[in-house]
Amino acid sequence: MADHDPTIHICDDWISIKLPDWESVIAAQSALSASKYWTEIVPGIDSIAVQFDPALVSPDHAAKMASDQMANLTRGGGNSRSTVTIPVCYEPEFSPDRHYIADRLGISAEILPSWHISQMHRVAMLGFMPGFAYLESLEQCPTIGRLASPRQLVATGSIGVIGRQSCIYSFDSPGGWPIIGRTPLRMFDPSKNQPALLSAGQNIRFESISKDAFDHWQQEAEG
Amino acid sequence: MSITVLKAGLQTTLQGTPYSGHRHLGMPAAGAADCLSLALANFLVGKSSGEITIEITLTDAIFEMNESCSIGVVGSAEYVRINGKDQPQHQTLRVGMGDKLHIGPSRPGCRTYLAISAEIDANRLLGGQSTCLAAGLGGFHGRALKTEDVIRFSQNSPVIEVERTTPENLRPHYSDNHVLRVTRGPEASKPNEGALDGLCLRSYAVGARASRMGMALEGAPLKATESSNMPSAAVFPGTIQLPPSGQPYLLGPDAQTTGGYPRIAQVIRADRHLIGQLGPGSRIQFVQTTPERATEIHREKLSLLTSWLGQINLW
Repeated sequence: MADHDPTIHICDDWISIKLPDWESVIAAQSALSASKYWTEIVPGIDSIAVQFDPALVSPDHAAKMASDQMANLTRGGGNSRSTVTIPVCYEPEFSPDRHYIADRLGISAEILPSWHISQMHRVAMLGFMPGFAYLESLEQCPTIGRLASPRQLVATGSIGVIGRQSCIYSFDSPGGWPIIGRTPLRMFDPSKNQPALLSAGQNIRFESISKDAFDHWQQEAEG
Repeated sequence: MSITVLKAGLQTTLQGTPYSGHRHLGMPAAGAADCLSLALANFLVGKSSGEITIEITLTDAIFEMNESCSIGVVGSAEYVRINGKDQPQHQTLRVGMGDKLHIGPSRPGCRTYLAISAEIDANRLLGGQSTCLAAGLGGFHGRALKTEDVIRFSQNSPVIEVERTTPENLRPHYSDNHVLRVTRGPEASKPNEGALDGLCLRSYAVGARASRMGMALEGAPLKATESSNMPSAAVFPGTIQLPPSGQPYLLGPDAQTTGGYPRIAQVIRADRHLIGQLGPGSRIQFVQTTPERATEIHREKLSLLTSWLGQINLW
């Protein structure tokens, strides 16, 4: 095998590229997207992977292409720095773990929504299931552990919080994140050109809505 | 213009080509767990290798035909019966209206593919039709088939009439003992040095909770780092993760797209179809190879299969 960049690891039909930080991941995603050889481009937190067809491309050649394509990353460039506002209903029926979360933050459950809304988040990556977004708060905050035993069913749209990280459940699923609220937005719609509502690199703001507004929003989405 | 499920079995789903190009959105591959058996079954009814079929898992399943058509059965089923009479796999079979088709349990192996000459009416999304169980998308209303479900055929779909028999030398050998070749994963080096050697040193048994998402591998635990704070990174079907327990975990076609456990090995593309035949208790011996050799093996396998199947893709 030819010598190659030590940050690149080659498997037989995908390669993983270690990057210094999350900003570089977003820049790399944009740089790699220009090539038609990658069948998948999957960002992680501090790495990115590309998959290729080994009938057409040899692993060494793939590594060289990736290396070339990422030669001049412009960090923080990207055009995906839009801010998306996510409406959230924090009413108790949608916020089963509000006391659990508030206790760990040392605040009252009543002001929990304002605490969540006050923070700017960004989409770190998507994973776990279609459209499921991992968000990271730009501010420091105490760690909130996962639930001792995961729920069998977390409803679609539920928003989980473990400290600086939040997530949005895109489908009903089992899950262990403490739940702070629920959004009526549809996170994944395969009939759309861009099926996932969010993408890595976007900024996210949460906005508190009433139960009535939630119901109205959901009816509109279904109608 | 349909087929009725009389007995659905453990997990019967509509599967064909996996989803491609959407892993960054969290969309798993899904698709047939054993793409080789899928391709062979489809060819028996004149279809291209990735067309949608009925994937049957471990237990037996029974169907009633509401239409005359051709079928092809390839996989681990112990027997195939039409109206109680034994019929061969690897051969185009004619079925008539009212015929009862019985696909036997897997012995040995795990999955069988039933290809039908008519076009199966499956939910379509993101360029595919395979069932994605985690999100309830694609296939038959996004779920596994249940008894009394009726799978419809697209109206006016062309029924290609062929008579084919898979050549003996291309028929997969179904077994409960497998050799899977792997390349080093991104985290096979420090602090997990030795884990890959350990993985290849002894054989492993597939755990009882094996599914299309993945399977725990039971055997002597490998030395794992205690607190795994690895930032989440991309994983693929065939990736072998090393959780803190030291019990390696092999990801299947429905695996999520990212994970936080060290990726110590990757089953090579040419061997990944065998993952679909791994059921609870199957034994695996892992053998390490290089990416270059893996590419050669893949191309050799494709070239062998192309002589019979024409254009084919393995995933």
